Amino acid sequence: MPHPSSVPVLEIEALTLTARHGRQQVPLVRDLNISLHPGEMLALVGESGSGKSLTASSVLGLLPNAVQVAHGQIRFTGANVLDWPAKRRRQLRGTEIGMVFQDYQGSFTPYFTIGNQLVETLRTHTQLSKAAARQMALEWLAQAALPAQRVYDSYPFQLSGGQRQRAAIACALMLEPKLLIADEPTTALDVLTGERVLDLLTAMQRQVGCAVLLISHDLRHVMKRADTIAVLKDGQLVESAPTATLQQQAQHPYTRQLLQARPSLAELQARPEECELV
Amino acid sequence: MKELLVVQNVSKSYQDHEQRTAIPALRNVSFHIREGECLGLIGESGSGKSTLARVLLALERPDAGDVWLNGQPWLALRGRALREQRQHLQIVFQDPTAALNQRLPIGRSVLEPLDNFPHVTPPFLAGIRHSRRATAIRLLEMVGLSAAHLDRYPHELSGGQRQRVAIARGISLNPKLLICDEPTSSLDVSLQAQILHLLKQLQTQLGMAYLFISHDCIAVRQMSDRILVMQEGQIVDQFKSHQLTDADRHTYTQQLVAAVW
Repeated sequence: MPHPSSVPVLEIEALTLTARHGRQQVPLVRDLNISLHPGEMLALVGESGSGKSLTASSVLGLLPNAVQVAHGQIRFTGANVLDWPAKRRRQLRGTEIGMVFQDYQGSFTPYFTIGNQLVETLRTHTQLSKAAARQMALEWLAQAALPAQRVYDSYPFQLSGGQRQRAAIACALMLEPKLLIADEPTTALDVLTGERVLDLLTAMQRQVGCAVLLISHDLRHVMKRADTIAVLKDGQLVESAPTATLQQQAQHPYTRQLLQARPSLAELQARPEECELV
Repeated sequence: MKELLVVQNVSKSYQDHEQRTAIPALRNVSFHIREGECLGLIGESGSGKSTLARVLLALERPDAGDVWLNGQPWLALRGRALREQRQHLQIVFQDPTAALNQRLPIGRSVLEPLDNFPHVTPPFLAGIRHSRRATAIRLLEMVGLSAAHLDRYPHELSGGQRQRVAIARGISLNPKLLICDEPTSSLDVSLQAQILHLLKQLQTQLGMAYLFISHDCIAVRQMSDRILVMQEGQIVDQFKSHQLTDADRHTYTQQLVAAVW
């Protein structure tokens, strides 16, 4: 549960991202404001090209070379990380900010076993001995409801998509970051597997107590989990509200359009004629 | 309505060479599709949905079972006769980027099926079939694109536009049955809705039957008249679309429903 009184884990203030196009600077994200408190899950929702992944990249300090922060601040636990040198920002990634991506194929190097990669991650960021790191990696795999020893010894291609995404979540959370950025973590998975992965993410979030920035194109899908939802269109925030408020009365026409694009099964069953495709 | 496709006791397994065992992908699958009807097929990854599509397209031979298309035994066909009948059964895949040749301009890609069947002239191409350009433009317009897209390459189009091109190809021979294998899974929500609308509109307009395969209950519910549920290669549940949330549904169907409720 969020604690409104605490210092936000992440505060994005008046953030504007631009890209050079010929002689002009084209804004990709405009004047974005978001704040995320410890333990809170905020979903950033929008269609392809709305700027949601760029926003995440800017927090991580992983913006493509062609894109610059033209204006604004990104404060992590109170400090503006945009003032920090690259090295310090790099240290933030992995330890303080965990990441899970849509493309679970890319989360692990194909020619090392999952176990090796977890141990390497632990030993890079902590003082653990090899044996202790191994023990810890196995514990986290077990917590992610995976057959720990088998997954530990497996290469990424030997696991299913859902298993790999679970291992990626364990890997991102085992260093107990303050913030987890999950960019479309279930989009490449089927519905049931995706639900189980989100269940796991929520349970592990509670345990670690971190804040989660969940990025998704599917408003309906994140409504069940997120505390707050921010809707992005063409790089601008069109609406930002607690999930319950948004569910009952979405203010912006675009938000309503997103909801209509995907009626809930309850609506479909109750009023099929309103959800007709033709 | 007449039965267009009848599938009876179809089984198919793959060999696992390492373990030297057979992995069943389809087990005793039976169902039918009527003319002009949309039959939905739900199931999670690995449940056998795509294997079924491949068997129906005669890209794979089943180990056992029969399939009839239009009252004719479909699996007995070989060579020329099989090719000739394929015009009645077309497919739209999940990933339009992989389905289109990236080196061919859209205008040529869209004409490929018709080029393979020079003697076929669907009613919606009557009078313009002799002109390749006019034919390509008509097909693009039917899916909401225009002549402006004719000379573009796949990478110059958005994901949604590429899927429209794939649909244009799928309908170009005026098939009796169009198999849609996860046609919206690689698109974002707003585009998904647009593509579903387009597919529904074309189905009505051209009187096609669909086998609509997806792991997304909501899309299947919106598209289909009847729904089949597949788990581990078996059809575990089938019902009319509006009965999706009935209390006596199979446990697995209920799980799928709960995931999107």
